[in-house]
Amino acid sequence: MSGFLELAISGLMSGLVIGLAALALTLVFGVARFANAATGDFMTIGAYAAVFGFTATGSIVIGGLLGLFIGAVSGVISYFLVFRVLEGRPSVSALLASIGVGFIIRSVLGVIYGHGQQVFQLPLVRPWRYFDVRIQPNDLKIGATALLALLVVFLVLHATPIGRRMRAVADDPMLARVSGIAPRKVMFALWAMSGAVAALAGVLLGIRTVIWPEMGWEMLIPVFAAAVLGGIGHPVGAVLAGVILGVVQEIATPYVGFTYKLALAFIILLVVLLVRPKGLFGRVEGVR
Amino acid sequence: MNITRRQTLAGLASTMLLPALSGTAFAQAANFRIGALNPITGSGAAYGSGMQKMILAAAEVVNAAGGAAGKKLEVFAEDDQSQPQAAVLAAKKLIDVNKVQSILGTWASGVSLAVAPLTNDANIMLMNTSGAPALSVPPANAKGLLFRFQATNDRFGRAFAEVAKKEGFKRPVTMAFNNASGIGNADGFKKAWEAQGGKVYESIVYEPNQPSYRAELQKALAAKPDVIVMGSYLADTTIILREWFQTGETTKFIMPAWAGNPDLVKALGPEVSEGIIAVDSISNEGSEAFKAYDAAYQKAMGQSGLNNVYAAMTWDMVIVLALAMEAAGPNADVPAIAKKMFEVAGPGGKPVATFAEGKEALKSGKIDYQGASSVLDFDKFGDVTPDFSVSVAEKGKIERKYVVKLSA
Amino acid sequence: MDAYLIAIAIITAIYVLMALGLNLQYGLTGLVNFGVVGFFCVGAYTTAILSQKGVPQYITFPLAALLAMAFAWPLGLVSIRLREDYFAIVSLGFSEVVRLVATSEGWLTQGVQGIPGIPKMFGTFSGTTQALAVLGLLVVFNLVAIAAMLRIVRSPFGRMIEAIRDNEEAVKALGKDPAGFKIQVLVLGSALTGLAGAAYAHYIGFISPEQFIPLITFQIWMAIIMGGVGRISGALVGAIILMVFLEGSRFLRDVMPFISEVAMASVRLGVVGLALVLFTMYRPQGLMGDFTRK
Repeated sequence: MSGFLELAISGLMSGLVIGLAALALTLVFGVARFANAATGDFMTIGAYAAVFGFTATGSIVIGGLLGLFIGAVSGVISYFLVFRVLEGRPSVSALLASIGVGFIIRSVLGVIYGHGQQVFQLPLVRPWRYFDVRIQPNDLKIGATALLALLVVFLVLHATPIGRRMRAVADDPMLARVSGIAPRKVMFALWAMSGAVAALAGVLLGIRTVIWPEMGWEMLIPVFAAAVLGGIGHPVGAVLAGVILGVVQEIATPYVGFTYKLALAFIILLVVLLVRPKGLFGRVEGVR
Repeated sequence: MNITRRQTLAGLASTMLLPALSGTAFAQAANFRIGALNPITGSGAAYGSGMQKMILAAAEVVNAAGGAAGKKLEVFAEDDQSQPQAAVLAAKKLIDVNKVQSILGTWASGVSLAVAPLTNDANIMLMNTSGAPALSVPPANAKGLLFRFQATNDRFGRAFAEVAKKEGFKRPVTMAFNNASGIGNADGFKKAWEAQGGKVYESIVYEPNQPSYRAELQKALAAKPDVIVMGSYLADTTIILREWFQTGETTKFIMPAWAGNPDLVKALGPEVSEGIIAVDSISNEGSEAFKAYDAAYQKAMGQSGLNNVYAAMTWDMVIVLALAMEAAGPNADVPAIAKKMFEVAGPGGKPVATFAEGKEALKSGKIDYQGASSVLDFDKFGDVTPDFSVSVAEKGKIERKYVVKLSA
Repeated sequence: MDAYLIAIAIITAIYVLMALGLNLQYGLTGLVNFGVVGFFCVGAYTTAILSQKGVPQYITFPLAALLAMAFAWPLGLVSIRLREDYFAIVSLGFSEVVRLVATSEGWLTQGVQGIPGIPKMFGTFSGTTQALAVLGLLVVFNLVAIAAMLRIVRSPFGRMIEAIRDNEEAVKALGKDPAGFKIQVLVLGSALTGLAGAAYAHYIGFISPEQFIPLITFQIWMAIIMGGVGRISGALVGAIILMVFLEGSRFLRDVMPFISEVAMASVRLGVVGLALVLFTMYRPQGLMGDFTRK
């Protein structure tokens, strides 16, 4: 039983990372209406920038903030150079271009850093025990950071003028335009936010694991599954779905076999699309 | 019109073909052509450049000593990208365009398995540093033209079992990265351990690139092991050991040295890495041949030759090949040279450490080349049995404790 | 030299076959299939496993195509009605699951060890004759595929799938069900991909799961996007450009020594990415594309 609980906690941590990345994906999907396959690579950029900042300053907070900043900048640049041009084209064009953008990011990181691993040299500590359940202090910190970030994102979305405009554009772009919302400005804010959220997911993943050029791309299928599960364009849903996915993957794989962990995410994705294409929390949208 | 066209064609063909034909004929008389097919990019990139440079350097040494059997060695270098498809095309180019008579230095097992049919068809040798057991036997080694300078996965597993026994472990479990090498090492250990009458209490196989390996680890730890034998790589080992430490358990680890290296110790820090046991096939470090190789490696790569065991193997490939050519004489074909490979490196002759020394000694009798990578005694499958080093991490440093020798 | 060129031509012909399949799916019908390598893998393993049991190749090749179709059909059934970008991710996931199954089910596929020693095509011949025979067979496959595709384009079926691509809503409004047509197209295209997989397995002679990664899928995408979406000549030209690029990088290091050898793999990936981005942005009709349409 305690083992079960520990797995659930571990799944919760993985799930928060997946959930944050799914949030970044769903933000863009909700407004720009395409699946940004480079989301995972924004995670990677964030992690590399953070490890750079951390090594230079010795502070994980400064490193993390640098990661977020670089993630936001990458989001804005890719919008400005690529996705702005593709607005109004079929969503497949933007999807293909985003795969290309991801390849370019990995290529640049590979040339600069090589394919060896980088790590955050953070102190590891032995766990605390509560009634036979092991609680890892680092998990608490990661969890708290993720929750704080989510709080900030939701405050921005719901309590600031730019957030209201974003939601307006997501609901109905035409109506938003008619009511005098400048779409360009909203898009810049959106891509910056999506980039920063993805970068944070990358930093947390990097702290838990190791940093290498493909780390974000490898997460794409679970991340997309979470975004769909939560209902595309639905931020709260994305995060909750990420957590559910993380916990289910961790608890179920000892029974289905560890090599099929990824397949589990895929099957959940397929089942949700079949049974409830608008996702667990999504509003009715033209999915079919 | 018709005639002129035919004449033109014939003329074209002769201008294109004749130099090629005469070129190869000439080349065969004067030069022995070697293809250096190494993992310059892809998963073997950390070793590939060094391997290729050592083939070039060793060929220079041979040529400086007057060549082998009256021929100079000529090297054509290619990148196999650590991938079978790219390797097949590169091998085709080496065989058909460059007319090489041996291909040296394939690293990934998949690459060696894909290239072997081509070299067999061309009746030339393939010397590799791969671990897969399939390379010992037909169809891959159908003609006895394959030579492996690295320990097989099975031998690695046997070395792991020796170490586990020596350290007094009783309840091992294995965790393996889901690829040929990871599973090969874990299975090799299991086979050898059970042959000693031991029991493996759990065998876990995991997929790479997971955000967490806790579920895998929990299942392994549930068997209450005193040691976890890993068939793993650096990145996954880093993550697994961090998660293991944070569970509070005090299990020991035995792992291959490409996972348990200074990078791992650095990534984990002294407290977590304390007591990790890393096993590696080692170069023949005390030997004269190793000194020669090390000097060449220092010159080409600017670092110690200890950093790249595979480069020592490719160095030996060229030297052994050249000695076998010398022993077989100037008119021998490649299969005849291949037969001499067993002889010039095998036991029973006068021990030699360099090409020049061997060439001289061959005039008066049999020789036994003691290589830089191992003593290089090929068994009937063309495999070698190098020694294994056992290193232990202590206080943030990983240092060699002892050497394990397997019976061949 | 000839044998090397023939080898390149053979690999190119295999890529053309896949590009034709994808061209039918995406170019003519608008199906965003990101799972190309999955069907390629199914085809390769089908023929490899059967050949191990001694089944002759004139049986295993058709079976490879059939089995790829058999995998495509249920995938289409459950996911073809989804939005196009959802289908894209589902098909990508499908190809990864195929690879995981090939990795994990060792009793069938020999797992991570891979299957070595797959017999050659035309094994009774040898040398250049054998290579030319293989190339000839692949050219025949491609010609038949092209002829079939030309017929399809001119048939009512062809007009229907092009209408689905250009305006699916209008097709629905006319009372036709696009999903049925799309599934047929997915299955047909996968047959070509499966056949390509079979040829690949027998040509390389050794297959293992790590050869069937999504990068292959995106290389084929790059080929048809560069060549020209919806054009048969586009699939051909695109695959040739792709091959020249992949093999050309072998010679590139001689003329561009400033790129370190280790960086070359990254540079190759970056060029694939850049081509995808630039072509979708500035030349969505590709090199051989129809310039009147956008």
